Amino acid sequence: MESHITEVLNVTPGVTWLPWAVSYIFLIGLSYGSFLLTMPYFVFGRAKQEKLGRLALLAALACGLTAPIALTADLHGPGRFLNFYLHFQPQSWMSWGSLFIPAYLFSLLLYAWLALRGDFAQLGKDGDSLPVRLYRLAGQGGAAPRMAIVAAALLTLAGTALMALYTGMEIMTIQARPLWNTAFLPLLFTATACSGAVGLSLLFNRFIGDRDSQLETGLNRLLLPALAIVLALVGAWLFTGISSSAAWFNRIAETSQWRLTTVVVVLSILLPMALAIRRPASSGLINGLIAVSSAWLIRWFIIIGGQSIPKTDAGLYHYHLPLGSDGLLGIIGTLGLWIALLLLMLEYLPWAGQAFADRTKNRPDVLADSAITQR
Amino acid sequence: MVQSRRDFLCALPTITAGAALALPAIASATGEESGKHHWVMVIDLQKCIACQACTMACIMENAVPEDSFRTFVPTYEVHEGKQTATYMLPRLCNHCTKPPCVPVCPVGATFKLKDGVVAVDGDRCVGCGYCVQACPYEARFVNHDTGKADKCTFCLHRAEAGLLPACVETCVGGARIFGDMNNPNSAVRKLAEQNKLKVLKPESGTQPNVFYLGLDTRFQGSVKGIGTLWRPSGHGG
Repeated sequence: MESHITEVLNVTPGVTWLPWAVSYIFLIGLSYGSFLLTMPYFVFGRAKQEKLGRLALLAALACGLTAPIALTADLHGPGRFLNFYLHFQPQSWMSWGSLFIPAYLFSLLLYAWLALRGDFAQLGKDGDSLPVRLYRLAGQGGAAPRMAIVAAALLTLAGTALMALYTGMEIMTIQARPLWNTAFLPLLFTATACSGAVGLSLLFNRFIGDRDSQLETGLNRLLLPALAIVLALVGAWLFTGISSSAAWFNRIAETSQWRLTTVVVVLSILLPMALAIRRPASSGLINGLIAVSSAWLIRWFIIIGGQSIPKTDAGLYHYHLPLGSDGLLGIIGTLGLWIALLLLMLEYLPWAGQAFADRTKNRPDVLADSAITQR
Repeated sequence: MVQSRRDFLCALPTITAGAALALPAIASATGEESGKHHWVMVIDLQKCIACQACTMACIMENAVPEDSFRTFVPTYEVHEGKQTATYMLPRLCNHCTKPPCVPVCPVGATFKLKDGVVAVDGDRCVGCGYCVQACPYEARFVNHDTGKADKCTFCLHRAEAGLLPACVETCVGGARIFGDMNNPNSAVRKLAEQNKLKVLKPESGTQPNVFYLGLDTRFQGSVKGIGTLWRPSGHGG
């Protein structure tokens, strides 16, 4: 006999991994994705990619330094992170993550320092002010040997692989959440990290760089396959029988809220793809915005959406973004920290490199003209 | 050791005398040192009336913060043809033999005691919520007051004092039966021998130590039905 069940009384457990977790996985992804974009110039020495290399290095540093702060905030007590190191648990992916995060960040900082050492030395040549003395200290020895930069890049590349692996595996291994328990998850995080990083470089080219249309076209060409991979992974994850998540996705797709979110996610992939094909030289701003938003949205969909599926109860849990630090304020605060770090780096790091140092010596107003200019 | 309300009352003089014992003796009695006990709970669903007395007793006993629950009795309406019935399913930590919450913990703050209880070391817990995510029974939560993982402990502090868990103690219908599965004379052991006990989500391989009598298979896993009509005020979401 057919039966219908109505849940009369139950409790909503609420989400445990808050928007802080989304911010962390978003920012660390953008960081390692951006690091990959620095390699053509700093590691392979392709002079044509200098602008991209320097902009992406800035993005990798700003995102990489902000991400762990968001993660620590999710612990409900910043000092608690020490317990990760006092009580290491080799069977826990999160425990390994506590080692991988500093390993990645320190190797990224080492790589950035070696890559910019020549610039530091240049900036520290004249004067005796505190910043100049610090530049001189940081730039001792002049431009770093190529082998040292390559070695640091290899270290950071290993860190990148570990970060991509652990952030995905940490969530994938949770069998209790069927939307997460799929091998597509680490792949999707990595693919969206790369597409988001390309999007961020498009935005940096527009707002920090000199709006180089050649770079814009190149980045749009790079965005196209990156988004195609994201689209294929999203499709396979949610709409095919390859993943067990598909059945569970059908369940959450019964609500209009999640149907709309799915449509927005798919559009946020298709629209920049179309623009990248049709207008590769003039769609940088909109494509950059959408690609970065898409990386955020997919993480939101996975982490917050995944927690809206009850493990035992009927129906779905409805999530409403709180305005306080566990919600909107936390997201805005993280963004504020990211902007502050970015401004500090723009102020003090010779991110535009040797060319910038040379130019500023003769023309102090050069930054106003163009932040990045070819030698 | 006591197995049910009746056993408990019969054993009261012994328990009172036991309360005067030194702490090491109590620890030994709970089996923590030797692992000779295997604490389990059997819930007879036909006796549950969804009065939520267990829910309240747990909150009072364990200072569970507002809007959080270590145990709760979800209530369902089941329509079959022209008939409608009410179904109650008390839920709590299943103290699994293979608890998925334990290996994920990044600091080893959650662990299984020798007597079968899955416990949390509040001093070590970092409140990351990984165990909350890993639990297939939605039995854990991050305590808003402490910012750390919280869950049912089978009222271990009471067991150490020779008392029943608060929810068992207060259960109006005597639906919750607590005891030592290793004791052949215990009520839980006899129930297990005489009945086919069921567990929630057996396919997950967690081997729960909370057993149900009269569990409808439609409620064994994730319940397929219309979502709840009323909820306490939400938190964090």
